[in-house]
Amino acid sequence: MDEIYHALPNWAQDVLVTLGLLTPLLVVGLIVLRGFHVGPLLLGLLRRQVWISAVFTALIAVSVALGTGLIAQERGLRQGTARAADKFDLVIAAPGSEITAMLAAVYLQPSDLPLLDGATYAEIAAHPRVSLVAPLGFGDSWRDAPVVGTTAGFVDHLSEGLAAGRPFTAEDEAIAGARVALEIGDSFAPAHGVGDAAEHGAHGDFAYRVVGKMPMTGSPWDRALMVPIESVWSVHGLANGHGPDWDGDIGPPFSPAHFPGTPAALVRAESLGATYSLQAEFSTAQTMAFFPGSVLARLHALMGDIRQVMSVLAVITQVLVTAGVLAGLMMLTRLLARRLALLRALGAPRRFVFALTWSYAATLILTGAAIGLLLGIAASFAIAAAITARTDIVVAATLGWPEIHLVAGFVSLTGLLALLPAYLTMTRPVITDLRG
Amino acid sequence: MTGHAQKLEVSSLTVTGDGGRRLLCVDSLTIAAGSAVVVRGPSGAGKSTFLYALAGMIAPETGQIRWGETDIAPLPEPARAAFRRRNMGFVFQEHLVFEELSAPENAAIAALYSGRADRGRIRDRAAAELARLGLDGVGTRRSDTFSGGERQRIAVARALAGGPGIILADEPTASLDRDNADRLARDLVTLARTEGRTLIAVSHDPALHERADRLIDIVDGRLLEAADG
Ligand SMILES: Nc1ncnc2c1ncn2[C@@H]1O[C@H](COP(=O)(O)OP(=O)(O)O)[C@@H](O)[C@H]1O
Ligand SMILES: [Mg+2]
Repeated sequence: MDEIYHALPNWAQDVLVTLGLLTPLLVVGLIVLRGFHVGPLLLGLLRRQVWISAVFTALIAVSVALGTGLIAQERGLRQGTARAADKFDLVIAAPGSEITAMLAAVYLQPSDLPLLDGATYAEIAAHPRVSLVAPLGFGDSWRDAPVVGTTAGFVDHLSEGLAAGRPFTAEDEAIAGARVALEIGDSFAPAHGVGDAAEHGAHGDFAYRVVGKMPMTGSPWDRALMVPIESVWSVHGLANGHGPDWDGDIGPPFSPAHFPGTPAALVRAESLGATYSLQAEFSTAQTMAFFPGSVLARLHALMGDIRQVMSVLAVITQVLVTAGVLAGLMMLTRLLARRLALLRALGAPRRFVFALTWSYAATLILTGAAIGLLLGIAASFAIAAAITARTDIVVAATLGWPEIHLVAGFVSLTGLLALLPAYLTMTRPVITDLRG
Repeated sequence: MTGHAQKLEVSSLTVTGDGGRRLLCVDSLTIAAGSAVVVRGPSGAGKSTFLYALAGMIAPETGQIRWGETDIAPLPEPARAAFRRRNMGFVFQEHLVFEELSAPENAAIAALYSGRADRGRIRDRAAAELARLGLDGVGTRRSDTFSGGERQRIAVARALAGGPGIILADEPTASLDRDNADRLARDLVTLARTEGRTLIAVSHDPALHERADRLIDIVDGRLLEAADG
């Protein structure tokens, strides 16, 4: 069995788990309803108690929405941040905080980082197993968009081919991120600094012209302007990375003696194995080398604890709501007691009254869970859109199997719990209830 | 449904209510199969209790309630319900119907919980009884749109839809106006007689008394045979 299960594709396993979770409910439903035709009376009950039914359904829906929304959101955030770091195999920076360096290099969060010097950079660039290395230059902005100095080669790697235009080939050319409000041919003057502290006109009359546009990457780079690193150094009055014998072509190689420094070198190795050996090789007293993916994984692991607390909270909410709903159902069945007693007085089997009450509860639970699932998706879409708007990290809010499993488990559990009020109606004295 | 009229034999029957109060005490009573009997008595005398006991809706403390060959007194509740389902039609005092359902649905309510094989027959007979009671062609109107008299006739059709050998009716005409009461009294007795059912009705209605084969009085939970029966 185990082997067969593990040999199945993931989706098939998920479908199986869902069915497994629903099985208790289906089995109970089949047994309880077998031989009876509760439909007309069930509809009658629902119509008669339409408001109470709606309130119970809404309660269940909200609790299910909370649970599924939280799970979907958390997973989306995790996947989104991981996807944004996808293109960053290895970051080498001056020793310090990996998280700070990652936030700056991958997520473009402004921070003061110590710099790698020209000699170290040249050593990385000359390493035989390095296939791509790029320096980064931060500090300027245009409106809300950070202006990031780097190389055309890195822009190409990040974008996997531009959406429009061509790579920059001169110091006053720029590539705009997909969400920057600049089109090819537009010009902009960089301000020194970012955000409210930005000094406009600090760089004189210098202006860039947009020559290319990146496709969407789902990362903060969508809101960035990428320019030649040389220009960032030049406008700040630093050496431009090239010696006196420079042929004028921007980009690598850089001259170690004329290299002003970079907060981080973005490195791509020729293979996965090479990435690991580079990481080991450049983890020294002078340099810190790390995989943004694994720093992120450590952060996510930390968040995992929070996730567990959240899941526990979600489950507690659902259990509380369910308990409330069941208590409500018991009161409701008292309201219905006279009609149920009438059925039994007419000779309906106790099991029929049981089936009717249970199917009433099951209808509320199933409807509530279905609405809750939709609400949960809608809520996580809204939250995802808000997160994307703030961070530019595309958070995909999709319905995932964990939510479906949660809801299936919830539906089954509450469906089983609903047997209790149904059983209690069955044991009521007929004549006492009938006399009202 | 057996559909046979059944002879009733009651002996040493006692029913006690909450707090051990003696509600009913019947030493011995025999009712012939196919007869129409009316039970009278002051309010609170125990008439309803008597009918509920005969129907097996309440378990007596002691005694026997023998319908034909079956003593229902010692049976557990589900078995009494099953007996009721197969052999009895019950008409309650206050036209108890399911308001959200139509007249045909109410009359054929037993189809919802009876075996597949019986469903069609119950529906057909319910429709026929409704027609006999002048309620054909009412369509799918909800039952709460009907008058009290019409609802009581729906309840009678429901009691007859199973083709029961026994009809028990608890003040079936009490909540009706004179015309409706007369009509229902006539219908009940006729329906019972023409198909040879045993009818036991609690009623103060002279219209029913006139038509009865036999009158029984209940006073303070005790049965007295009426002299003019
Ligand atoms: N479960 C019960 N416990 C105690 N007393 C009851 C119960 N049910 C009915 N009674 C009482 O028993 C008496 C007979 O009731 P009932 O059979 O309804 O009278 P009737 O139908 O003749 O008016 C009444 O006094 C009523 O209040
Ligand atoms: Mg009464």
